[in-house]
Amino acid sequence: MKIMDFLVPKAVSTDLASSNKKEVIEELLGLLIDAGAVEKKHKNTVLEVLLAREALGSTAIGQGIAIPHGKCDCVKKLVGCLGVSKSGIDFDSLDGEPAYIFFLLVAPADSAGPHLKALAKISRLLKDKYIRESLKSVRDEKAMLQIIQQEDGRLSKI
Amino acid sequence: MARIQADITIKNPQGLHARPAAMFVQAASKYNSNVTIQKGDERVNGKSIMGILTLGIEKNSRIVLEADGDDADEVMAELTALLTKESIE
Repeated sequence: MKIMDFLVPKAVSTDLASSNKKEVIEELLGLLIDAGAVEKKHKNTVLEVLLAREALGSTAIGQGIAIPHGKCDCVKKLVGCLGVSKSGIDFDSLDGEPAYIFFLLVAPADSAGPHLKALAKISRLLKDKYIRESLKSVRDEKAMLQIIQQEDGRLSKI
Repeated sequence: MARIQADITIKNPQGLHARPAAMFVQAASKYNSNVTIQKGDERVNGKSIMGILTLGIEKNSRIVLEADGDDADEVMAELTALLTKESIE
């Protein structure tokens, strides 16, 4: 699996405006809706699922990264968006650090396998400090996608 | 100081996804011992959620859990129990 297999190219943002957890989840979901990957009529359902998941325990995984995710049969396959907050957002991370880089994933109910692979790919991408810093300081969405595509090529060889 | 290893087969049907990985790290972080998880040729820090997720540990994956430190016995007991439960949400 490659990141570009689930990352919706039109659903990326280099400058998220939100300042708290709930807002940023809504803003990220908005990227998927605007890109047509999630239908607008399902917005409230998906938002509730995502927030319920956060209530179980934060999806922040440390190093300034969060991967909010949820299941909904309103999508046919795993879809994701990528957003960066320049100022950082408190996401109740175990390491106490704010989150800057967000991958939000929405998957159909029976997709444990792809979901686990997507988490592994995202973690492999972002464990590299240089990549994290590059994504945080990237100038526009096009450059952001270029980084992901380039790394997809590199990671697929591992 | 003690260093202990155990071969473990993951039972959770969903594998070690974000929530169980976070629970694992929370449990491991209570102890002084260094904790590592190895799957295949790769070994990661057991106190890093991101590290654990990179391994993509599915149901029936076999891993080697290792603890190294003065409380290795206690940490191994708790983490082994966590990893072999059939349902961690």
